[in-house]
Amino acid sequence: MRQSILQSDVDARGLVIDPRTKLLLLITMAVFVLGSVGIAQLSFINPVLCLIPFCLLLLSRRIKVAVVSLLIYALIYLVTMLVMPHTTGLINFLLLGTSVVVMRLLPGILTGMYVLSSTTVSEFTAAMQRMHITEKLTIPLSVMFRFFPTVADEFSSINDAMLMRGVSFGGGNVGKMLEYRLVPLMTCSVKIGEELSAAALTRGLGGSVRRTNVCRIGFHLADAVVITLCAAPYAGLLLSRCGVL
Amino acid sequence: MIEIKNVSFSYSNSKAVSLSDVSLHIQKGEAVLLCGESGCGKTTVTRLINGLIPHYYEGEMFGSVRVGELDVSKAELYETARVVGSVFQNPRSQFFCVDTTSEIAFGCENMGLPEDEIGQRIARAAEEMDVIALLRRSIFKLSGGEKQRVACASVSALQPEVLVLDEPTSNLDMAAIEKLWEVLLLWKKQGKTIIIAEHRLHWLMDICDRVVYMSRGKVETDCSMREFILKGDNRLTEMGLRPLYLKNFAHMNGSRKEHGGSIFLSDFFFCYKQAKTPALDIRQLELPKGKIVAIIGYNGSGKSTFARCLCGLEKRCRGILNEAGKEKKAKQRLKCCYMVMQDVNHQLFTESVLDEVLLSMKEPDEAAAVKILDSLNLLPMKELHPMSLSGGQKQRVAIASAVASCKEVIVFDEPTSGLDLRHMKEVSENLKQLSEQGKSLFIITHDLELIFECCTHILHLENGKVIGNYPLDFEGCKRLKLSFGSTVETDFIDVRKKANFTFNCRLQRANKT
Repeated sequence: MRQSILQSDVDARGLVIDPRTKLLLLITMAVFVLGSVGIAQLSFINPVLCLIPFCLLLLSRRIKVAVVSLLIYALIYLVTMLVMPHTTGLINFLLLGTSVVVMRLLPGILTGMYVLSSTTVSEFTAAMQRMHITEKLTIPLSVMFRFFPTVADEFSSINDAMLMRGVSFGGGNVGKMLEYRLVPLMTCSVKIGEELSAAALTRGLGGSVRRTNVCRIGFHLADAVVITLCAAPYAGLLLSRCGVL
Repeated sequence: MIEIKNVSFSYSNSKAVSLSDVSLHIQKGEAVLLCGESGCGKTTVTRLINGLIPHYYEGEMFGSVRVGELDVSKAELYETARVVGSVFQNPRSQFFCVDTTSEIAFGCENMGLPEDEIGQRIARAAEEMDVIALLRRSIFKLSGGEKQRVACASVSALQPEVLVLDEPTSNLDMAAIEKLWEVLLLWKKQGKTIIIAEHRLHWLMDICDRVVYMSRGKVETDCSMREFILKGDNRLTEMGLRPLYLKNFAHMNGSRKEHGGSIFLSDFFFCYKQAKTPALDIRQLELPKGKIVAIIGYNGSGKSTFARCLCGLEKRCRGILNEAGKEKKAKQRLKCCYMVMQDVNHQLFTESVLDEVLLSMKEPDEAAAVKILDSLNLLPMKELHPMSLSGGQKQRVAIASAVASCKEVIVFDEPTSGLDLRHMKEVSENLKQLSEQGKSLFIITHDLELIFECCTHILHLENGKVIGNYPLDFEGCKRLKLSFGSTVETDFIDVRKKANFTFNCRLQRANKT
């Protein structure tokens, strides 16, 4: 069987951390790395934060993805530090652009990939329930966990079909190429979404009774480490606002 | 147990009437087979019983549906879910969770059952459905048959009184069907009421005691299985149904062409990432050119991998195809091979049928495109959007674009899964027509009828290796039937034996209580 990067695999998962920790990590990454809210005195913390997703991917046995993206990140980081100060004009501009995009987006994307690929639907719903979040929000979000891997699967089939027809991005109209991919993707996704909901409804989803959950989640040592690392930039921000730093 | 009274229904997005004045009364413990051509309304009946109509699929509905004490058309879906369990056609899209154990627990969790009871129910359902080995696995790694059994277990864990199955075998091989047969037998022994809509009839002879034949939204015949069997296969063919006995298939390929040369394959070896054993391992293989070759084997035997490597879609496969002295690597094969996928929605991109064909041509030539469309009876639809067509028409559009791109080798991935007799014959006609144009066709299929209808050669795979490669002559037919397992050779006496056994079991249970 083919397996895409987004499909969570319960057989060989390696390190397991609580979905709530993952959520905190995701938010922290978005605020401090993507949004770069941090303060100048604490600029060393960003690279540390960026290392977390690489470590987590390594620990959950997605070694190839982790190593390749770490190399890309390191390369761009070095270029930004060493080469960029010596360039001017257009080259400087291009380098700046790529470095900003890669350094800000890549860690966030990797975290997202890690969260999607390592969380099962029942872990996620269990976590949401513990946080007392309404089912009206939990159900659509948990469908998303199931939906993305399926869409990724569909997309690879469509790509195969395009290859066989000799239609590719190489020549011709880019807009058309996008359209040819998106039209079948949309129709398939709608169809699968519809069938998924029908199946879930006939198994009693959306009832008035309170759902139970057999999935056991909880905080362990690994969670403590990640949470501490995530808390650091918030603490720094708070302290600087109070005027301590 | 189930009381459907004068129900008429039409889906809100179509003008046609799906059901008109259907009445059915089903006793507790009965097993009912719903059959009929595609679009006759059997799926609609199953949706009436599990409440998806009118709660999920909207439309205009008259009449009433009761299951036990419950008025299904008024009750909420989660109330119906306690009484009626449903298994659907597509194993890919009926799982809510991504791992098997939570999927089996899913229904029970929705009912709010206590945790330890859910644990017990999972264990019991897994035991009954023989899926213990599959617990705690990722559903993306299961075969179609395994998925369907997990779906059954997940329904079984809810312990419903009524079970509704909508074409559960359309993606399954013979071995998986026999497993499903055992599941149904068990449910029957437990006294559950079973309603099953199905095209393939042969495996249900000794499960169902009653047959409801539908046509154009009406119940045409409602009789016992015994009476139904006595009608004979000829009458069934007239009714547009698939035969009851696979044994009776006769080989009927009169127009066998002369030997038209061979294609040689060498070093077709492929191993998926992280897999320990290769999915495909073929050193040397000689296949006839310009024939219709059926690729058979169980789910997971490497058929799809073989097809993907043959078409050049797997770049890591270093196999070489040698045709009349010309060697073709994966990249060149991609230019001369075409695959009609099982889900044709993946390969239709454009806004009209005509554009679809023009896109495939190296130099768009409208006159030639029209000619191709005409040969596949698609001319009246040439301005329509491909997505608005029916399944069979979409498949023909995909074939048309294969023809337009002048590909020599065309691979079909299960072209007849879930098709009724008439549509299966249509597909087989199209295949024969392509073969007459000199194309080499490869067909991955579990459909014995289709093979007898049009194929001329068999390639049998198991664990990625070729275990049979023979022409479909008299000897070949015998061998083919053997490889399709016991279900083919069972005749009525065996069936009666099985039925007797079932009956005895039921009697014993009745005595106990």
